[in-house]
Amino acid sequence: MGPAGRAEIRTFSPAISFFLALSLIACTASDRIAGYVHYRINYNPTTLDPALIVDVTGGLIAAKLFNGLVRLDENLEVSPDLAESWNISSNGTIYTFHLRKDARFSNGRALSAADVKYSFERILDPRGKSPNTWILDSISGAKAFMKGKNSEVAGIKLSGPHTIQIILEKPFSPFLNLLTMTAAYVVPQEEVRKWGDDFTAHPVGTGPFRLTQWKHNSHLLLDRNEDYFGGRAMSKGLRYRIIPEDLTAITEFELGNLDVISVPASEYRRIINTADKNLVSSVEGINTYYLGFNCSRPPFDDIRARRAVSLAIDRKRILETFYEGRGRLAHGPIPDILRHWDAPVLPDYDPAGARKLADAAGLKERKIQFYITADPEVVDIAEIIQSYLRSAGLSVTIKQLEWSSYKAAINNGEADMFWISWWADYPDPDNFLFPLFHSSNHGPGGNRTRYTNRAVDALIEAGQKSSSRVTRDRYYRLAERAIVEDVPWVFFWHKKDITVRQTTLRNYRIFPIYSIDKGMEVFF
Amino acid sequence: MIPLLVGITFITFSLTKALPGDPVFSIVGERSSPETIEKIRKEIGADKSVIRQYAGYITLLSQGELGRSYYTNRNVADEIALKFPNTLLLAFAAMGIAVPFGVLLGFMAALQRGRAADKIITMLSVTGVSTPVFWSGLLLMLLFSLRLKILPPSGTDGLQYLVLPAITLSLPALAALVRVTRITVVDVMDLQFIRTAKAKGLTETSINRIHIMKNALIPVITVIGLEFGSYLNGAVLTETIFGWDGMGRFAMEGIIKRDYPVIMGCLLIGTIVFVLVNLIVDIVYHSVDPRVRMHGTDR
Repeated sequence: MGPAGRAEIRTFSPAISFFLALSLIACTASDRIAGYVHYRINYNPTTLDPALIVDVTGGLIAAKLFNGLVRLDENLEVSPDLAESWNISSNGTIYTFHLRKDARFSNGRALSAADVKYSFERILDPRGKSPNTWILDSISGAKAFMKGKNSEVAGIKLSGPHTIQIILEKPFSPFLNLLTMTAAYVVPQEEVRKWGDDFTAHPVGTGPFRLTQWKHNSHLLLDRNEDYFGGRAMSKGLRYRIIPEDLTAITEFELGNLDVISVPASEYRRIINTADKNLVSSVEGINTYYLGFNCSRPPFDDIRARRAVSLAIDRKRILETFYEGRGRLAHGPIPDILRHWDAPVLPDYDPAGARKLADAAGLKERKIQFYITADPEVVDIAEIIQSYLRSAGLSVTIKQLEWSSYKAAINNGEADMFWISWWADYPDPDNFLFPLFHSSNHGPGGNRTRYTNRAVDALIEAGQKSSSRVTRDRYYRLAERAIVEDVPWVFFWHKKDITVRQTTLRNYRIFPIYSIDKGMEVFF
Repeated sequence: MIPLLVGITFITFSLTKALPGDPVFSIVGERSSPETIEKIRKEIGADKSVIRQYAGYITLLSQGELGRSYYTNRNVADEIALKFPNTLLLAFAAMGIAVPFGVLLGFMAALQRGRAADKIITMLSVTGVSTPVFWSGLLLMLLFSLRLKILPPSGTDGLQYLVLPAITLSLPALAALVRVTRITVVDVMDLQFIRTAKAKGLTETSINRIHIMKNALIPVITVIGLEFGSYLNGAVLTETIFGWDGMGRFAMEGIIKRDYPVIMGCLLIGTIVFVLVNLIVDIVYHSVDPRVRMHGTDR
């Protein structure tokens, strides 16, 4: 070896030392805290303040930290939470809740009815910026309070330290279901005052867990609340790791650093074929995926054009092949779990019929603007739909936008057609009818197709006013049938939630709505 | 620097406002009344004209504030203060790998010009430059985390978490440095003064170290400066794949949600960092080559 060669070895030595140092650092791939259940979430929750939460991630963590007056049980029925019992007046407008006396916030203070009043008024406060006012705005006096006309909400009355009365403006049967939602969780006034805007990162509730660490974009650590009125959780705590990438999450799961993960679409086939079947859980999701039409302007203000598109697409085939059976075919907007009546019958795939209708509606001369998000799965589905419509002689241009631009565009009615889904906040057919099809909710209210049918409006409103389940179902059945007839959507499917877990994890269950899971039973 | 920064804030503010999309629709969730939307629009100042919004932003900056995130309500300056050290650490680690390996391999390739070693190194550097980081990152994760089980795949909780993202991030810069170093060293080797040095009887080591290396350093420093500046602004893909809590991931989330205070804060800090890095590069130029003047030229 010449002098140059020796010089190269000498100059390489810092780099070799660097790698040796790295290999010394690199000694373990394990990343667990003993006794804690390790979950994955895709993104940092935006906030843990119940007044501000609008995302599922924030909601599922808040459910472990807070309680509402009532909650959903595993059968999707409303059950007691902070309220031991309640009664509803015969005219359906006065709800009286009797609170349990042993509930304490994790700062040690006992809960009282005044906390409930404070929490509800905080949501409706005109000086606040809660986007969740719609959950409580049916309370009498709420609208005047929101406009700053009154200093209190007239319809929220304390009848003792542990009794609260809520009076509604008019009978509204979904109200009890709405109280199971995140925004109706109870917060302590002194902590909100102490932290101000930073209460979002220092949440204090009455729940089975309390937040002990929130390292943004890394993890959240929830420790068991030893004084929880519902008993002690079976695990020491929960750790939510924030991992945006699906493949990274799969690697963490396979290394045993995560105990449960949602199965990503890209890994579905491999996991279903290789994992122990007992470790895979699935639940019928309360959601509907659909292709929406802008019914307020040509070409889709013409029902023939909407029917033509609906007949031109073989939904069943797409569900079975591309979607690999990860859902059930939709028969209308309402998921079958919530439908207590016979499902509407949708026409079968009929390309010849589609061509005739498209001709009659003059659809073949038009270019249809089809808006979608940049999600790769959605792009694939859109291309499949485009191909079916091309076979029916229609010209479709796909316009792909990132999420917030997409939402702004469809809320503003820019698209001819768009692909989106709707997930239940509360398990009531009303949640799939009122926001999505009532004419008062065009655009950001949920009715992005700008569908307007006064008869449907009346049926939905009648359902909301009726307290009898049988009567409500009758109205909702009629409303759903009218909607299916009018075809504002092509109804695709209801997606399943699928998870896979480690063999050591016990009592794990998957629920269709995030707020049901309080994290109490699961352990090793 | 102040006029430059004001100019940059004006351009970035205008570009951010020109983006399609409305942050309010992300804040309000899936359903909301027009009154709620209007209230939130007012709360975040989106109801004012762009000029008034910009004036408000400049006033905020003059008070040393970067505002609060629309979504998390957290102070943007505090968030950046938490994330920037992570990005700094990652950038230093990546450059700590890229610079010695890139320069030495480039030097070796130049010395072995036309031989097998040169061809292999050149081929590897082309592969390195053209391999996307998400691909190399996932391959490294599969190898070191899943197969060998010696490195954690994601997180920001210690030095062992730094290894895979640092190697991933370093690869394109390493490959670029190999190419630049090789080209410049080959150019210098052909110059007259090297032949003069050889004729004077200097050893090959001293010619390599003193004459060739030093004269080839300027373009290499340029590449290092550019890469380092971009790393300090956050390496979005690498930070996302490895769950590294840095500026890149933070800025990316801000962009996705149209969280303007976050976007503007990241752009502003990124600009300052880039200007400072370029300033340091200029100073280093001067110390390496005194012919590079800091205050204009005498003619």
